Amino acid sequence: MRLTLNGRPVDADPPGETTLLDFLRDHRGLTGTKRGCDRAECGTCTVLLDGEPVYSCRTLVHRCDGRTVETIEGLGTADAPHLLQEAFVAEDATQCGFCTPGQIMAAVAVLARDANPTDEQIIAGLSGNLCRCGTHPKIVRAVRRAAAAMRTASHG
Amino acid sequence: MKGTPRFVTTTVEVEGRTEERVVEVPAFPVEPWGPEAQLKHVGARARRADGLLKTMGRAPYVTDVRRPNQAYAAIVRSDVARGRVLSIDTAAARALPGVLDIITHADVPARTRLFLPEITYLGQPLAAICATTPAIAEAAAALICIETERLPHITTVSEAETSTALARPGHSHNLMGGGPKVVERGDVSAALAAAEVVITREVRTPCALHSALEPHAAVAEWEGDRVTVWESTQGIFRVRDNVAKAFGLSLAQVRVICEAMGGGFGAKNNAGAHTFIAVAFAKRLGHAVACVVDRPGEQIDTGNRPSTWQRVTIAATRDGQLTAIDLEATVPLGISGWEESPGDIYHELYACPNVRTSVRIAYVNTGAMAAFRAPGHAEGSVGLEMGMNALAQALAMDPLALRERNIATHDQRRGRPYTGNRLAECYAEGARRIGWAARATRAPSAPHRRRGFGVASQVWSTGGGPPAYATVRLNPDGTAEVLAGSQDLGTGTRTILAQVAAEALGHRLDAVRAVIGDTATGPYNGNSWGSMTVASLTPAVRMAAEDARRALLDAAAGILNVAVDRLATHEGRVAVRDDERSLAFGEVTAKLGNVMIQGHGSRGPNLDAAGIVTTGAQFAEVEVDTETGVVRVLRIVAVHDAGRIVNPTLAESQLEGGIIQGLGYACFEERPLDARMGRPLALGLHDYKIPTHADIPLIDGHFLDGADPQANTVGARGIAEPAIIPTAPAIAGAVADALGVEVPDLPLTPWRVLAALQRRSP
Repeated sequence: MRLTLNGRPVDADPPGETTLLDFLRDHRGLTGTKRGCDRAECGTCTVLLDGEPVYSCRTLVHRCDGRTVETIEGLGTADAPHLLQEAFVAEDATQCGFCTPGQIMAAVAVLARDANPTDEQIIAGLSGNLCRCGTHPKIVRAVRRAAAAMRTASHG
Repeated sequence: MKGTPRFVTTTVEVEGRTEERVVEVPAFPVEPWGPEAQLKHVGARARRADGLLKTMGRAPYVTDVRRPNQAYAAIVRSDVARGRVLSIDTAAARALPGVLDIITHADVPARTRLFLPEITYLGQPLAAICATTPAIAEAAAALICIETERLPHITTVSEAETSTALARPGHSHNLMGGGPKVVERGDVSAALAAAEVVITREVRTPCALHSALEPHAAVAEWEGDRVTVWESTQGIFRVRDNVAKAFGLSLAQVRVICEAMGGGFGAKNNAGAHTFIAVAFAKRLGHAVACVVDRPGEQIDTGNRPSTWQRVTIAATRDGQLTAIDLEATVPLGISGWEESPGDIYHELYACPNVRTSVRIAYVNTGAMAAFRAPGHAEGSVGLEMGMNALAQALAMDPLALRERNIATHDQRRGRPYTGNRLAECYAEGARRIGWAARATRAPSAPHRRRGFGVASQVWSTGGGPPAYATVRLNPDGTAEVLAGSQDLGTGTRTILAQVAAEALGHRLDAVRAVIGDTATGPYNGNSWGSMTVASLTPAVRMAAEDARRALLDAAAGILNVAVDRLATHEGRVAVRDDERSLAFGEVTAKLGNVMIQGHGSRGPNLDAAGIVTTGAQFAEVEVDTETGVVRVLRIVAVHDAGRIVNPTLAESQLEGGIIQGLGYACFEERPLDARMGRPLALGLHDYKIPTHADIPLIDGHFLDGADPQANTVGARGIAEPAIIPTAPAIAGAVADALGVEVPDLPLTPWRVLAALQRRSP
């Protein structure tokens, strides 16, 4: 099988039952995507499949053949972080940080759908992503902040 | 030096318990930063030091550790609540390709207490499998056949008291201490007999699960006779001690590392079965082994906040002065745990001369309890505050006014003053922010919905204490490192240690880095629990930085040929007072070459003559749908007095976190139990609902300005646990206010709300 992973073509031959999450973490060493429950409940494993957020723990990697997968590692670099990553830092939208990559990937999808989302749209888009530290207010603020920064950047 | 002992004893309060501890007396005095101190880095909204790393997905959590040839363990658990293991058949599992090893009771040191054949709760580990991948280990776990003999189990306090069955083998009774624990101040019976107004209420609180998103996890790797353990933990040194004891090792043979961890909330204070399983397999196999608890295992066997039943009686004069508080309570603790009493807060929160609490804590055949954010106080405050609301109603008094009338002006448990208690200001500021006086004018959003407002208060010992140690060293280029064997649970430990060190050194914040989370590199610190880290560790860091600064100034004085007392530090430069000369720290240290400037800091003794507490008040505004029974929390206003706030942004994050956990406790969270089988029923995060983005109210969190120089040299107190204590009772009070009827049992799920409405208008 072949998929596009964070912009690069990847050829692989994983066992048929391999989930996308295990493929990313255990075959590709991309541990930014987290395994919080491994049963499609917590959202820490959220990645984008053809731009749509999916729980990678409940997505077989073979379903991704010929498709595009984006993970937190493909989003930005330490020197050039994505505007969402910058906004999460600026708003202190991390506490323990374990849910953060999943929240950010879900937020990428929210902003791809609508460059100027309402709070309701942000909340709906992130409601599959649990956070136990109670960082929710700052996460929503960070997404709002990133949306504004992205609009400014695209108009600028 | 003569006449000054190096070690003395002091009193430290941990999670409501008092401990006597030995403390190292600081080598030189450090003048506390009082409220008037002009500070640059302490009190600033510095960005979280590891924030960017976390947003990049590059923070090294324990579940992300990958060592050469790392294998993975899975745990096989009991599916009966009480019984005996008769046989374990591992043949089918062993035959599965990829399975490396299987261990049962006979294969592990007795001190690990792993895989005990006597089963005392459902979910007890009975065997473990190690395989090349987690998937193979899990598949093999399902192939292990365990034959058990079932014995009668108990799950409730009344069963524990009346049944002939014993929850724990080898014990003669099921109640902790053999009977109720009664604590009385004054004469409650006499006060009740003479009372002008008396109310009684019964309240139930649910069993709650910590539900950290990173599961309990350990990776172990041996090198010769030494083992390194990566553990997702609140206490690296405690895990070191646990592992050394369980495996008969010296402390020097065990190194524990926790660079990033995905939440603890009290459930990650010790090494667990997963730790010992990883260590045991790694030794047998000669390479690294990871053991990550799966989500059902998290739900059953990594701790919980036990449920409670509380019957509270409160007496008062007609003008609202409390004269007696009487609590009877029961707690089904689980198979083990410590005495976390809902009674403690009854003795402490409100001024009252006569208080009696009688609490029966029973060992039952469910998973062990573990401290959960404000253990005891979070439960007790629900009963106490619902009692206060009932009293306010009986007195036809504003519930806020009743509380303002009964503020505890001193530490009633120990008969001593507080270093400060500004609860009155918290009430006033909170009432202003929520619009308490005008609350009756807030209209609901639809005719079948009702608005309500509630208030509750909080007290929690947050003085921290010794032992806590730090080293601050200056590198030859002038940058500084803080070394401390502590850990960052997401609270921002790394960030605030750097802030305090930069402040005390007179350095730039970006030139100071905290190195924590490794028993091999940092000096001893205790667990991050009990809201203690800031008040325990930051004074040690400050002292270490002051010590390093002294050495730096000595060196600079020699270079500049001036007296030390003419030198000052500011933003990474040593300057001569009334002179234009100055040197960058790096210019001084460069002259020293690799001679190290290294400061030692230890946390001094506590002030035993006064209680050190964080107090606060929270106000809730809710809307309840009388057709569906759904409670919507609209707004929480929180005002707390926590002394000096080292970093307001991080403090607000933690405050919001406590409030949101409290909201979950009030509205959704409950571990149901099939009592007949002794089986917990919520095995995942759908069955056990924690708050999501869609449940979050507007939160207005505020800390009073100030500092507590009597508490410690930084003037800061803790906030983690104070944040959760008043939330649930404030919400419950608001729901009762909205409905005109109390909902006595948490969580406030729709069916409980509707049942309460039916009781009011049958």
